[in-house]
Amino acid sequence: MPKTLKLQPKAALLRRFCRLEGRIPSYTEMLTLFGYRSKNAVHGLLGRLQQAGYIRKHKGKLALTARLSGAVKLLGAVPAGFPSPAEEELVDTINLEEFLVRRPEATYLLTVSGDSMVEAGIYPGDIILVEKGTTPKPHDIVVAQVDDEWTIKYFEQDAQGVRLAPANAKYKAIRPKRSLTIGGVVRAVIRKY
Amino acid sequence: MPSAPFMLESFPRAILHLDGDAFFASVEQAVHPELKGRPVVTGKERGIIACASLEAKALGIRRGVPLFAARRRHPELVVLPSDYETYSLYSRRMFAIMRRYTPSVEEYSIDEGFADLSGLRRVFHASYQAIARRMQADIQKELDITAAVGLSLSKSLAKLASKFRKPAGLTAVRGRHIHLFLQHIPLEKVWGFGHNTVHLLTRYGLKTAYDFAERPAIWAQRLLGKIGGELWRELRGEAVYPICPEEKSAPASISKCKTFTAPSANREFIAAMLIRNLESAFIKLRRHRLRARAIAVILRERDFSETGLEAALSRATAATHEAVPLAKALFARVFQDGKEYRATTIILGKLEPDELAQPDLFEDRLRIDKLAQVSQAVDAVNERFGKHTLSLGSCLFLERHRQTERDERPVRKAALLPGETRRRRLAIPRLFIKV
Repeated sequence: MPKTLKLQPKAALLRRFCRLEGRIPSYTEMLTLFGYRSKNAVHGLLGRLQQAGYIRKHKGKLALTARLSGAVKLLGAVPAGFPSPAEEELVDTINLEEFLVRRPEATYLLTVSGDSMVEAGIYPGDIILVEKGTTPKPHDIVVAQVDDEWTIKYFEQDAQGVRLAPANAKYKAIRPKRSLTIGGVVRAVIRKY
Repeated sequence: MPSAPFMLESFPRAILHLDGDAFFASVEQAVHPELKGRPVVTGKERGIIACASLEAKALGIRRGVPLFAARRRHPELVVLPSDYETYSLYSRRMFAIMRRYTPSVEEYSIDEGFADLSGLRRVFHASYQAIARRMQADIQKELDITAAVGLSLSKSLAKLASKFRKPAGLTAVRGRHIHLFLQHIPLEKVWGFGHNTVHLLTRYGLKTAYDFAERPAIWAQRLLGKIGGELWRELRGEAVYPICPEEKSAPASISKCKTFTAPSANREFIAAMLIRNLESAFIKLRRHRLRARAIAVILRERDFSETGLEAALSRATAATHEAVPLAKALFARVFQDGKEYRATTIILGKLEPDELAQPDLFEDRLRIDKLAQVSQAVDAVNERFGKHTLSLGSCLFLERHRQTERDERPVRKAALLPGETRRRRLAIPRLFIKV
């Protein structure tokens, strides 16, 4: 049976070396790095890594791609030639954290334990992203302290003042009697499967 | 007291000092809101209070007090293990908020920083006090912790001003009010005056910082040297010390200290604690890409008295194995049979950048390179499987240590989110509210 080559661990080794040393290893160094005895094997592996988009050849020299270095590549950094449309499109991508978090300094994680928002799709065990210091608008989901009790509800306002409505038929809406503190506005729900 | 102002301007420079109030305890109260209004202290794992919340301070509980003493007097005290990860995340956010207003921010320590606001009035269409108040309000709103702010013309004055109204206060000292402000400041509050200096100055009949600042410059310079002259100018409103926005450069020394719950006289166990500290110190050393040339070993006895020894390595190194024999030899000289010890400390000194390695003609290069590789391999394994998974054999004696409440870990580390590991967690603070 031919031995299958797993690229990911090799790429991880390469990434680690580049991060520690700040440069790309020489072929000789790659022998020890990847545990090969022949530079031909290194060459073969580099070909596969290039195919998979981990590295690229630039003017005959090896260069890392964003996939390996993890850095966002900017158009201005392309040394020569026109950037391909595909690369240009990548500049406008955001990562998942930027997608979920609007204000990084004010966002917190909170694990939900109650079931008061199940009909809004927030289940016990879910992780919610809570943004502090924002004034809630009607229909926002908020984490609030109502008369010393913490809860998660829809924030609603009407003629009688603030009403906190659950998304679960089992519970009734509540109105703060003595005090209301808004702990934050819920911006996203994360559930891993 | 009749006195003349040192200057007539208000803010030729605007230096701000921001100091998080009871930072560790306030962060705990922010992530555990049910603890608000209750006396909270951190430092459970050390047995000594690391930080007391404002409520605990009101009970007369101070930093550095042994926990058992504080608990005996105040059984209602909430004692938490330190969660430095969350504190650091909050600290980073606090400085990020400060940087919204000016790029010139110096991270002085985890909970305090300086910012240079000079010239920003036009940008924000607001007075310096208003900018400072906005910064303070942002921190309060977004981090749910309070900070005291001082605003003045130099770092020394700003630091004195922030201490003036705590907690959550804002004190602005204009150039023409410095002389009035300093009359309220006793000498020992001044940044840079230790108790020896204060003693010396009291002998000359000085009581307040004002008394010092109104003396002639040459007098301060002669009595206290260069630093004295600098402080004199700082206190009179001249910004002598610049704001350094760069990250703190490499440390000058690395120290690791671990206290064990019940004092122990067990030689192997204490040696194991020391070697574990040595390993941790070297991990940090390698992370900073440094090498150490000197090692100090300190043992703290039951009665808190300390004995220690320092020695130089024959060459600067970043490999744990190269330092172990020396550390063990120092330990053998310091340790006395029959005595009970409560803590061990390792200090790595005379640090230098790793790149500057110049091989010695007579050294055993092969062995040195091998040891460096061993350290790298150990780091690689531990990065993957958790700190100290692969460690020196001497550390096996640590197992003899019985578990106590001090080993309790902060909630953040005890209740991991799916996908988090003991070593790697999300860089977002978690709130612990039951909803």
